[in-house]
Amino acid sequence: MTPSDNTSSIIKTLGDSTTKWLRNRFAKKRPLDEIYRYFKKVLESNNHALELITDMGQKLDGSYIFDINYIKRIYPELADTLRTSIDLFNRLTRDNYAIEPAFAHIDSLISEVIYGEGTAGDDSILFLDDVQWFRAREVGGKSFHLSELKNNLRLNIPDTFVLTTRAYDEFLQYNQLQEILQPAPGDEGQEPDAKAVQDAIMAGSFPPHLEEQLDKILQTMRARHGSKATLAVRSSAEEEDDLFSFAGQFETILNVPIAKQDVIWACKKVYASLFNSNALAYQKRLDYAFGGLRMAIGCVLQIDPAVSGVIYTANPVSGNVDEILINATWGLGTSVVDGTIEVDNYVVERGNSLQIRESKVGSKEYMNILDSAQPGRIREIPTPDDKKNLPCLSPTFVLELAAKASDIEKYFRTPQDIEWALDADGSIFLLQSRPLKIVSPQVKADLPHYTQTTDSAHRPFLFKKPGIVVQKGIAAGNVYVLHRIDELNGFPKGAILVAHSDSPHFIRIMPFVAAIITDTGSVTSHMASVCREFGIPTIVNTGDATKILQHGGEITLAADESGEITIVNGLDNSILKSKQQHIRKMEELYEYRRQKYILRHIAPLNLVNPLADEFTPAKCRTLHDILRFIHEKSVQELIAISQHGLFGKPSLLRLDIDVPAGIHVLDIGGGLAAKTKSPLTADDIASLPFKALLKGMTWKGAWNTQAVALNVKDFMGSVGRFSVLASGASGCAENNIAVISKEYINLHMSLGYHFNLVDSYCSEKAANNHIYFRFVGGATDIVKRSRRIKLIDKILVEFGFNINIKGDLLIARLSHVAQEEIIETLTMVGRLIAYARQMDAVLRDENDVELYTKRFLEGNFEFLE
Amino acid sequence: MSKYNILIIDDEKIVCDMMKLSLEQEEGYEVESFLNGAAALERLKEKKFDMVVTDFKMKGIDGLEVLRTVKQLYPKTAVIMITAFANLDVAIEALREDVHDFFPKPIKIKDLKESIRKALP
Repeated sequence: MTPSDNTSSIIKTLGDSTTKWLRNRFAKKRPLDEIYRYFKKVLESNNHALELITDMGQKLDGSYIFDINYIKRIYPELADTLRTSIDLFNRLTRDNYAIEPAFAHIDSLISEVIYGEGTAGDDSILFLDDVQWFRAREVGGKSFHLSELKNNLRLNIPDTFVLTTRAYDEFLQYNQLQEILQPAPGDEGQEPDAKAVQDAIMAGSFPPHLEEQLDKILQTMRARHGSKATLAVRSSAEEEDDLFSFAGQFETILNVPIAKQDVIWACKKVYASLFNSNALAYQKRLDYAFGGLRMAIGCVLQIDPAVSGVIYTANPVSGNVDEILINATWGLGTSVVDGTIEVDNYVVERGNSLQIRESKVGSKEYMNILDSAQPGRIREIPTPDDKKNLPCLSPTFVLELAAKASDIEKYFRTPQDIEWALDADGSIFLLQSRPLKIVSPQVKADLPHYTQTTDSAHRPFLFKKPGIVVQKGIAAGNVYVLHRIDELNGFPKGAILVAHSDSPHFIRIMPFVAAIITDTGSVTSHMASVCREFGIPTIVNTGDATKILQHGGEITLAADESGEITIVNGLDNSILKSKQQHIRKMEELYEYRRQKYILRHIAPLNLVNPLADEFTPAKCRTLHDILRFIHEKSVQELIAISQHGLFGKPSLLRLDIDVPAGIHVLDIGGGLAAKTKSPLTADDIASLPFKALLKGMTWKGAWNTQAVALNVKDFMGSVGRFSVLASGASGCAENNIAVISKEYINLHMSLGYHFNLVDSYCSEKAANNHIYFRFVGGATDIVKRSRRIKLIDKILVEFGFNINIKGDLLIARLSHVAQEEIIETLTMVGRLIAYARQMDAVLRDENDVELYTKRFLEGNFEFLE
Repeated sequence: MSKYNILIIDDEKIVCDMMKLSLEQEEGYEVESFLNGAAALERLKEKKFDMVVTDFKMKGIDGLEVLRTVKQLYPKTAVIMITAFANLDVAIEALREDVHDFFPKPIKIKDLKESIRKALP
């Protein structure tokens, strides 16, 4: 078989789209070393950008005093680095992905925060369906959350339009109200008269163009819902329902007719409520200057509810995040919110499934209803006797509400306070969702503790390595030692995650995790950034936390910015109480919040799963998303394109080693010792990852030389399946190709009837490193092949790989680990490639899977008779 | 024992606010802050402070002038100088005027607190 025969069979196995893409590449004949150079440069540039993001995250986390000059200095450097990454990425992928528009958009949003250059949309009024993520600030927190529920979670939200903060600015300007928001000359220390401001607002008029826009929108609403429909006109101030709830501070006008003058009146009432005395005190506490907070308004189609209520997706008092609390009453939900009557209470417990643990039916003496006679009014009436002590909700509805609430919490990644309503037809509507503030959990007595710092003078450490504090903070909870990614599904709320390596998949448990400790990892990893964004105490690179900390054990953890880490057995009251104050108070400083806001467009990671449909440039919301996209697609590009070198470079050198692996080597830079010629020996290999892999493959005893019998059925089955994969069925491959450099290996290796692919980058920078391992096929039937896949899975999980399995295809990834660990792990992968070669025929049952996994991990590679 | 008094001068509100919060609420000092040198010097004439933390580059009266005035009025009051960038010339000039410490922004709050603790009697 010629190399091109082999490659064409590889291409066939990769599927039509990949084939088309590869053909395109072959046609253009790009030198592989050029592609590799771009790949390395992309990694370097990305790494620099991640370091800058890390620096910004640290400097803006409340432990540094900074000013806008710092941001003005560092952001251009970050933006330039992103531009470099994008340029290199485009060269690498030949402009295959339209990433520039995503960057340009995010860059403009950041520039708006830094330089005040307006880039947001032109609309002053828009429907909820048209609210995109980057308009969050303009539509205010409350309306933005509703738009997320509607547009992303596809939940049932009443038809809504929003008057943006731009409309508020236009209103102020048209009525020349900015002037009265300023103190009178000579009264600089005095605040303006709030009552006078409110009167001026109520006396003001909408600018004609705004009135015109509003009129059009109201016509649409009437056409959609009829002239008798009404609106709930609700405040949605800039930061409302965000870090701070502003709960109950501003006006909500219910049952407003869909008529221009009524809506304008209601909007002015909401604007004026910015200057209510309580609301002003609240704003002052958050360091707002008088008139500094801007108001958007959500005009929500008024539901005439049969039942309304509130859901807390956690118990805010006990801190128990396994409980969902639901309150319900007849009619409008106003009495639930103000606590004036005894309503129904339900407690739903989250375990493997949702279960109602408590149902307490309230007396519900009164209920609030819309006043059909007087639009704009609601009425309190005595609850009819037959309804008073009747539960408002059936168990089915309770569980349906709890399920929706869980989805919402999962989406926002933090416990939620949700308002809902049930109409006469039994449809559930969501009216509001905002973060729920939770009181710290109760704590027990002091217990002995162990402290370690990054200062080596303080040895011995609790852990093998000093550890790196990625995010400072204090936490307490039960240790959950994670062995494999799918165990995240069972992650208990409020526990401390202890894992071998970090992973962007941890974002799934961010709402519930108290702290994260990993054996390996770096401060610039994606997970590290996410932990900083969520303020989750995180320590990486401890070496052996998964072995030292006991699964299920209770600990208290404190990590500070100097790198000092304190781990205490049990819950330690004194530690928990000590340092929590700092960040909260900083966040009460308006300028701090305003300048830190920039990070929202930089640090969060939304693009987590490269296999998801959403993994596209258009879904990038932050610079971190862009870097993640570039990194993932660059690795994919290199993996696929490495085979292209077969055509562009004829200089393949045969490798002679102790086992019949049939490998030919293509060096693209520094992968071989100087002046070598075919056949090569293992000593000629200078590539760090390839050396490691070969060391494993030639490990004593790992490459079994015993003949393992295949039955006829196995053999016949394999011929049909793999005629495209490996046209020669000799069981001894001759044309396996390793593309190498000093720090890189891409090895496609067919051994008999199965196929290995190893792609690894192994540099001094942990953030750049990865191992990608793919295994597919085999000569035996699917049951036996699946057993082998299980064995490989079990072994790789032990070494911290993230694994996806589909039938007899296994894809394993490990990234962001230090060079020495990549080398060690590749040696193991080499042993595994050798060991697993005939393993499908050896594994008779599930017990064998366990047995041979154990033997491999113990270094025993012999097959039993 | 009475609380130590600290005067903060910086034309960036965020710097004054963050510093005031850190030093007042977390360390228990009494803190006054000013957004310009002129107003701060007026206050200095009325009241002696145990410590002055001043920005270097400000419109009108700059940090060096504040430093000189403080040393003239209250030779024992320590002054910490902060700047937007690490600037060697400014640092040398400030050292000549007997500055206690010198921090380029962003400033690690922990380091600033330590420096203040060392300077106070």
